[in-house]
Amino acid sequence: MTRMNMDKDDSRMDDALRNALRRQEAPDGFADRVLARVAQQNLAPNPVRHDSWLRFFTQPIVRWAALAAVAGAMILGVHVYQVRRERAEGEAAKQRLMLALRIAGTKLQLAKSKVNEMNANQTTNRHVKE
Amino acid sequence: MAERIPAEQSAEISENDIADSDFAEIVRRHQSAVFSIALRFLADRSAAEELAQDVFLQLHANLSTLKSEDHMKFWLRKVTAHRCIDYKRRRKPLQVSLDEAPEPAAPVHSSDPLLERKLQQLVASLPEKPRLVVILRYQEDMHPEDIADVLAMPLATVKSHLQRSLAMLREKVTRAMGEVTI
Repeated sequence: MTRMNMDKDDSRMDDALRNALRRQEAPDGFADRVLARVAQQNLAPNPVRHDSWLRFFTQPIVRWAALAAVAGAMILGVHVYQVRRERAEGEAAKQRLMLALRIAGTKLQLAKSKVNEMNANQTTNRHVKE
Repeated sequence: MAERIPAEQSAEISENDIADSDFAEIVRRHQSAVFSIALRFLADRSAAEELAQDVFLQLHANLSTLKSEDHMKFWLRKVTAHRCIDYKRRRKPLQVSLDEAPEPAAPVHSSDPLLERKLQQLVASLPEKPRLVVILRYQEDMHPEDIADVLAMPLATVKSHLQRSLAMLREKVTRAMGEVTI
């Protein structure tokens, strides 16, 4: 088949297809039925309001922002928890130190009174011997 | 999928113009194109009408996003094409063979009604994507570049679908009707 014949065939095929696939008229009353459905949809309770805040999260930037906010809140929460724990540990250590100091003070007081008592005894004995 | 507006777009109309225009007039202006794409693809008048109505309901909800008459035309073709594919996949996953392909729903008036009916039947038997490509090319007279935009398909794929479909259609119609027809 020559090139010219092939081109002719293509052109005939194109024309045949254009004829075969011509637009069809929409059924009678089509536009009215569409408008009726639009009106019906407008009258129906709007579910958009119910889920509108959820739809807000379908935007990628909002999703990322929400993720970042949640991650930030978690980091902040962990930090606050650590600070509080360190403060509580410091308070407990301080209490233990105070207790230890009180015990040590009591012991020192006891030792001092013993030493004083011993000194007093020695002085008494010396006077008796003299 | 990003909505690309074809380069041919010209008559710019503002958002307010679209919002204020009569929606019924918009439907009447485009109903034939939308209904015909659905009808050629689904080969079922009632299903095609239902699908076309859904397309216009979606259009009504998205009117404010459409920037021009050409954009609207592009949008309608794109949404119709995608809804057609979705509809077929939901309702009937199997491909229709030529023998199962329904007869054309409406009578056509032409010089060779037999050839046209045969071609319509053959087009209806094509796989989904090539069928849409052929419908958009020959019913809507779209360029392959615009078809590629509407179907979000590489241009080479559109051209390949067209070439293969035409070769197949030519072969089958010649076998069925004889050398004299095409």
